[in-house]
Amino acid sequence: MSWNLFIWFALGAVSCWTLGAFFAWKEQKAKVYAFTFLGLAIFFAFILGMWISLERPPLRTMGETRLWYSFFLPLAGIIVYSRWRYKWILSFSTVLSLVFICVNLFKPGIHSKALMPALQSPWFAPHVIVYMFSYALLGAATLMAAYILFFKKKKDVDSEMNITDNLVYVGLTFLTFGMLFGALWAKEAWGHYWAWDPKETWAAITWLCYLLYLHFRKIQPKEWRRACWILLLAFVCLQICWWGINYLPSAQGLSIHTYNVK
Amino acid sequence: MWSKPWRFAEGFLIGGGLFAVGLALQLTMGPIDWSLFASPVNWIMLGLLLAFLALMFLLRKKVYAFEWMMHGHAAVASLSWALGITLVMGLLPQTREGGVTWLSQMLTFWPFVMIWTWMMVISGLATINHLLRFKVKEIPFLLNHLGVFVAIVSATLGSADVKKLQMTVSYDNPEWRALSDDEVVVEPGIAIELHQFTVDYYEDMTPKRFASDITVYTEDGKNVHGTVEVNKPLKVNGWKIYQYGYDNSLGSKSPYSVFMLVKDPWLPAVYTGIFLMLAGALCLMLFMAPKPVKKEEKV
Repeated sequence: MSWNLFIWFALGAVSCWTLGAFFAWKEQKAKVYAFTFLGLAIFFAFILGMWISLERPPLRTMGETRLWYSFFLPLAGIIVYSRWRYKWILSFSTVLSLVFICVNLFKPGIHSKALMPALQSPWFAPHVIVYMFSYALLGAATLMAAYILFFKKKKDVDSEMNITDNLVYVGLTFLTFGMLFGALWAKEAWGHYWAWDPKETWAAITWLCYLLYLHFRKIQPKEWRRACWILLLAFVCLQICWWGINYLPSAQGLSIHTYNVK
Repeated sequence: MWSKPWRFAEGFLIGGGLFAVGLALQLTMGPIDWSLFASPVNWIMLGLLLAFLALMFLLRKKVYAFEWMMHGHAAVASLSWALGITLVMGLLPQTREGGVTWLSQMLTFWPFVMIWTWMMVISGLATINHLLRFKVKEIPFLLNHLGVFVAIVSATLGSADVKKLQMTVSYDNPEWRALSDDEVVVEPGIAIELHQFTVDYYEDMTPKRFASDITVYTEDGKNVHGTVEVNKPLKVNGWKIYQYGYDNSLGSKSPYSVFMLVKDPWLPAVYTGIFLMLAGALCLMLFMAPKPVKKEEKV
């Protein structure tokens, strides 16, 4: 498997997801599940193929993590659909996934076979996969918050806030897992579980943002506007933690979480 | 303001007060010297903290501020302050010295430590409060709040007891001396003999694996034979031995291998906290998320 074949797998998967999203509007449940899962299978076949040909999990470069993100978005979408039956959620997740697929098509980045020794660990796959899944869920929560704040006409937001809360609870579960798996791994790789490396500091900031959201929602459920703004801020922090850190002056040359430099 | 029940405004002011007290401490005492917390001081501090929490809990009916600190508004206020001050830390380069006065050495900045301590006090009080009126459905809440309290408090108090040494070992010459962070020669009580250091490469000559075949001799007469690799430290007598370096210009022909030796007596407590937090995070998804709203009309 190579990146040259990615476009064909991506076309197949996105076509299936689009059909799934279409049937969600038509309320034909069986077809929704069939097409969405078929798309997921096609996309995962590519990930698996890359895994085998690279002889390592494709999790190292930004391009490879985007691959997982594109996969988890429709997966998170179908989970939300199965629980709440929102007609629009799959259209949403498909478009978002398509954005990341396009980024990978036009800017593939470095995809060499080498996996430096620091990354050769049983913690590598769970750490990154769990994080990507949480980013997908929290990304969906952010879109909900933006929809509630800027697009929704009727201001009866109880059911939307309920979905948003649920996305954040599940997202935060995985975010916490990702962070703590990282700590357990860091102890084995670098000798200490938490060193306030810039990436770790931003992971803590992101985590605090979502904790703030949860506590705020508990005590002030009627102030949904402020809660939505907290989510928008949280997602900015999450983006800085994920990739923005590479452009942040405070992290230049200091982070040990840099793996593309030879 | 200050009419009961206290809400956000009071909470943010209390945080501001703590920040100001922290600044005063910074001005009078200078940055925090964490090495002063080495055992037994950290044990005494832990005792004081727990006694302080118990006292606050017992006096909650008499002192309203203590009652208030067991609940959500205090949590939101302290989380906001912690978020703000940690954001500053994330935005400014953190260096050993120099940079922005105080803020570039955030971990020794009193207000930072005051705010985080305040947050832990609130988490601790919430734990006691829920523990004393225990119900099965409170378990997720307890796991999360106790977990974060145990992990962060023990990581902080234990930090001064962490020993991190560097040992450079040449072939056929067992080494028992090591260098501490401040370049002082110390004897960790174990000796390392290097048998073979190897570097494996990928086809494009990027390193694939660094490994040292060693024997570790301990003061109590053990000899442990093993291989140390990146991500695969060796554990002997409470020390974790990490592959740390070699002569980069010579690769596999390097005449020595450098190890990092780490001992962290508080690690079991930190891991207990981490596992409580993991269990708590799982509960967050399974039991704490609000029930879906059942509505006829779908969006």
